[in-house]
Amino acid sequence: MTLLRVEDLHTHFISRDLDNQIRVARALNGVSFALEPGRILGLVGETGAGKSLTATSIMGLLRPPARVVGGRALFEGRDLLAMPEAEVNALRGRDISLVVQSPKSSLDPLTRIGDQLIRIHRAHRKASEKAARERAVEMLASLGIPDPARRMAAWPHELSGGMAQRVLIALALMNAPRLLIADEPTTGLDVTVQAQILDLLRDLVRRTGIGAMIITHDLGVVAHYCDEMAVMYAGAIVESGPVRQVFANPSHPYTANLIGATPERLRLGGPRTVGGPPPNLFRLPEGCAYRDRCPQAGADCATPPPDVALGAGHVARCHRVAA
Amino acid sequence: MNPVLQVEDLKKHFPAQGGRTVHAVNGVSFSIAAGETLGVVGESGSGKSTIGRAVIRLLKPTAGRIRFQGRDITHLPESACRPLRAEMQMVFQDPWSALNPRVRIGDLIAEPLLLHTKSSRSERQDRAEHLARRVRLTTELLTRYPAELSGGQLQRVCIARAIATQPKLIVLDEPTSSLDLSVRAGILELLAELKAETGVAMMFISHDLGTVKLISDRIMVLYLGGMVEYAPAARVFAQPAHPYSQALMSAHLPADPEAVLRRHVLEGEIPSPIALPPGCHFASRCPVAVPACQETAPELRAVHGDAQHQAACLRIAEGANRIPETAHG
Repeated sequence: MTLLRVEDLHTHFISRDLDNQIRVARALNGVSFALEPGRILGLVGETGAGKSLTATSIMGLLRPPARVVGGRALFEGRDLLAMPEAEVNALRGRDISLVVQSPKSSLDPLTRIGDQLIRIHRAHRKASEKAARERAVEMLASLGIPDPARRMAAWPHELSGGMAQRVLIALALMNAPRLLIADEPTTGLDVTVQAQILDLLRDLVRRTGIGAMIITHDLGVVAHYCDEMAVMYAGAIVESGPVRQVFANPSHPYTANLIGATPERLRLGGPRTVGGPPPNLFRLPEGCAYRDRCPQAGADCATPPPDVALGAGHVARCHRVAA
Repeated sequence: MNPVLQVEDLKKHFPAQGGRTVHAVNGVSFSIAAGETLGVVGESGSGKSTIGRAVIRLLKPTAGRIRFQGRDITHLPESACRPLRAEMQMVFQDPWSALNPRVRIGDLIAEPLLLHTKSSRSERQDRAEHLARRVRLTTELLTRYPAELSGGQLQRVCIARAIATQPKLIVLDEPTSSLDLSVRAGILELLAELKAETGVAMMFISHDLGTVKLISDRIMVLYLGGMVEYAPAARVFAQPAHPYSQALMSAHLPADPEAVLRRHVLEGEIPSPIALPPGCHFASRCPVAVPACQETAPELRAVHGDAQHQAACLRIAEGANRIPETAHG
């Protein structure tokens, strides 16, 4: 069974302005993707594209004024968005884990890391303090943390960035989840540490068959650690498919531009890259949201673009793409 | 021709708690010629930013010598540094905090001209418009405030300020690290154009190896405040000689799934710059270290007789500096 299937997810920020008029920012506009067990999906896009919001929407972690206004998120066939809060609570942290950005501010600063690991385990599983402690030590060891038994007593502020990120991943894995969502798991870490953390994540997925979604803006991470990728722009997935195929044949003009802007493909002095701020979510244009920046835009782009299947699971949402 | 910037054996130490010393920069020597971009790479705490700030004298060096256009500026008093900064400029990582939020964009761009040139208000305004167009900002933005601009636009404002007085040297400290990919590409293209047009020397500090590879002519690799390798950019990536450079380059993830990775995993944590180990600072984590590495500090030497390519490793002379290949999935 598909581990996670997100269908036509819409999330809006609904607020009132100073004139008491309702203002709606359409932050997610029909996000759909699927993740199979044992696979790593890379969700990429630039600032404001809705990557993190996709994760928090699925996990039911939105706070007002953000609200899911449509769509489904099926975890092993059960819709997370239609489930009673208590059932979602039971799944979160146990079967579905989230590794958030900025490890240093995500750990409880007043609790030793060992106690944090034990706490999350005992909140979801019937385990003795002793069994939970043993599991926590094992988990730290498996993440390559030297001298794990002694590290259990460490405070979060004593950890380096790379260590804190490993502890955060250990927290996420304590209850052997079936789905791991990692939001920018290596942003801000040094490259040698980044490589170690990503190696760990990939080995884990390969070894245990869980599914993982990595949210990142770094196409290098996607190119080397993900099986599938989904490219987001203005709250929608504009292109998705197997990583090699999308890199070899980027079909949506936005994807082509994004991949062309990587230092590996960029030619200084060549044709200029199209860059710019993301569109205003309060006034998204009808049809394709990329058409203001798109060099290939035409009159038909004012109508919603179709999802064009390009074979082997490669899909692009664009009027200009021929199947 | 004399290089624009010449640095010899630069050291910078900071006092730490309990009378101890943080050895941030421990004897680096390099030079940058006009029209050349020197890339400075290394991980957090390697001393990249400290070197950048020391060479334009935002910091006072502890030891060593800095020569700018042939003139020794190492111990120049601050009052004498100020006029000099018309010729040496800096662009910082975070454009949101680098600009005064209460000053309009036009005045921000004209500010260096007000400080360093004798020009009338209208001359400065004309020049600001010209500079804005040069960095590809529309002139209607000149009446706006920083909060109304995007990060990429703000970084263009910072670059316009940096080039306003036609400097000979620009130090760029992580100028694109906080920007999105497509915006970053635009900034890199602009920097390359400016260098070609004006022949300004650039020092490009970044932890983003892909960007450094693209923009630099030569690269300096730092580890714990010391230079471990100094070579033409392509060489550092293709044939890194120092074991640390090999590990660093192997951790770089090019945005191309077809690129083959050779992974060298480093064990252990970086030593503290307060209590630096004797000998080679990298020896504690180095896969090819021998006991002698713990005792003797290696000097920068030409690699295989090539003066362009220098590295500081005892094991290069014996040909034992290569980290053995490990299988990588």
